[in-house]
Amino acid sequence: MSGSSDDITPVSCTIKPPVHLQIGDAKADAAQSGVCVVDVTLPFGKPVHIKDITFKNHYTASVTVRLLRRSPGQEAPAKWCTALRDLPLMENPHTEGGSQDYCSVHRAQMQVEPDHVISVRLILRQPSSAWLTFSLEDISIFPHNPEKEVSDWLSDLTLVEQHPDLEGLTDPQTVSSSIQQMWALTEVMQTNQTTASIGRYDVDGCYDIKLLSLT
Amino acid sequence: MADKEKRRSGATPPGMTEGKATKSDSDREFLSQAGVGELLRGAILKMVEARSDDPIGFLADHFCNLASASETGTAGGSDGDHLNNGPLSAGAQEQQHLNRALWHLRLTHHSQRSAFSNNVRVAYDLLNLTGPLRRSGEAPEAPDGSCTDSPTEGGGGVKGGLYTQTLQCLCSEGGVPASTSAPLLQRLHCQDHEAVPYDIFRHGVLTCAVFSDYIRQAQRLYAEVCCPDEGPASRPLCLAVLGTLKEALETSQGCEANCCDNANTKVNPCLEANVKALRYLEASAKISPDKLGQAMAGAQTRGPGGNMDAKEFENAAAELFITRVKVVS
Repeated sequence: MSGSSDDITPVSCTIKPPVHLQIGDAKADAAQSGVCVVDVTLPFGKPVHIKDITFKNHYTASVTVRLLRRSPGQEAPAKWCTALRDLPLMENPHTEGGSQDYCSVHRAQMQVEPDHVISVRLILRQPSSAWLTFSLEDISIFPHNPEKEVSDWLSDLTLVEQHPDLEGLTDPQTVSSSIQQMWALTEVMQTNQTTASIGRYDVDGCYDIKLLSLT
Repeated sequence: MADKEKRRSGATPPGMTEGKATKSDSDREFLSQAGVGELLRGAILKMVEARSDDPIGFLADHFCNLASASETGTAGGSDGDHLNNGPLSAGAQEQQHLNRALWHLRLTHHSQRSAFSNNVRVAYDLLNLTGPLRRSGEAPEAPDGSCTDSPTEGGGGVKGGLYTQTLQCLCSEGGVPASTSAPLLQRLHCQDHEAVPYDIFRHGVLTCAVFSDYIRQAQRLYAEVCCPDEGPASRPLCLAVLGTLKEALETSQGCEANCCDNANTKVNPCLEANVKALRYLEASAKISPDKLGQAMAGAQTRGPGGNMDAKEFENAAAELFITRVKVVS
């Protein structure tokens, strides 16, 4: 989004080790069910608005994203919701296609607004028995800074309550109006800048290295 | 025009004999021969466009200008021998053209955008003609002034030297001392051998017009800031006041920089306009009377820090403006 100062640094989060769901007794040599859950907890006390989630795939066929959100307010309960259900990462779980791709999930793709998120749960599925292990690597969550609307900004404006001591000084109204005019004049000049060039440094349109133009 | 004629003939008392009636006819003939109607119509149209405060002065200037123009016209026409009188009349002709162009540029204030643009166009065409008039043999090129023309003299653009002279005259007539306008001209001037296209000419002229307004405003500001009977204003106070202006300019400038689009992002024009509006609001909030009052009181409490005289203040204000002027290249 043009004009917004986007954070390039991801939110620091704790990624718990993946938990593979297993059928039957954990101790016994049970087969892997092909479902794995990765929990990503965000820093405590600082709910995040997510812009996107990026990761590198490692033989995961599809992923479901669930979010634990707590709306702002002291006693609002935290609720789990599904942001994305079964996003396919590999075209065919048995073949290599998409198995090691870099992916990103943007907030626009999600079914719910990923705002005030405390924790993210990624449910990985890999039904194929062709692969020994599957996971997601380098999971990062990037925060979203909502664009301030003009109305928000206007309501943020607070009138300066204290009247500064202006003994012996000119009325700030007159000074302010002069400064405003000077500002406006400079803006007029800036908006009317031309992109035309007089071609002082052009070399007759000749950019070929072999043909040095000696003007 | 017709009214004038009627009024003139109507001025003769009603109960006149036929002799008088024929006289009014000859009056009318005389006027139409002299082309007075066109002259006056042109003068009135110009006056309506310019809306100057001094109508009599304006009309006097207008007719002076026309007189000098017609002189040049007849001089150029009657001068059959270009070769002998070439260099002399060329230089004088250039000066004539320059004066006339300046007269046109002085007609309207830059805030009256369409009228000002028209006058700039007329002035540009005037100065552009300096070339072909000298070389009578050459087919006159269209005074288009577009960058696609090869930058040769004569019809392809205004001569760099003439353009720089125009800017200098504009600044000095606007009441800007030469030392203050020098850095501005440094950014805008063109070399004598360069041909200036219309866009750059317009940009330069507009910048100089705005700059002279700006400097006048800065002079007024200094008079307001310093208490008149106490001599020069205190330095921290002046710096605080100029500082608020600088902050406001930097805030609104931020929106220029951020709005350069990344070719990959799909730009929503509504959003961009929103961001720009926000930046302008933020910038203007910085120069509200409250903020200025705070800044001024703050400077006051910081104590004495020497004085700043009018010249220094003017230079500091000019610098804020000039650093934001794009260099012509």
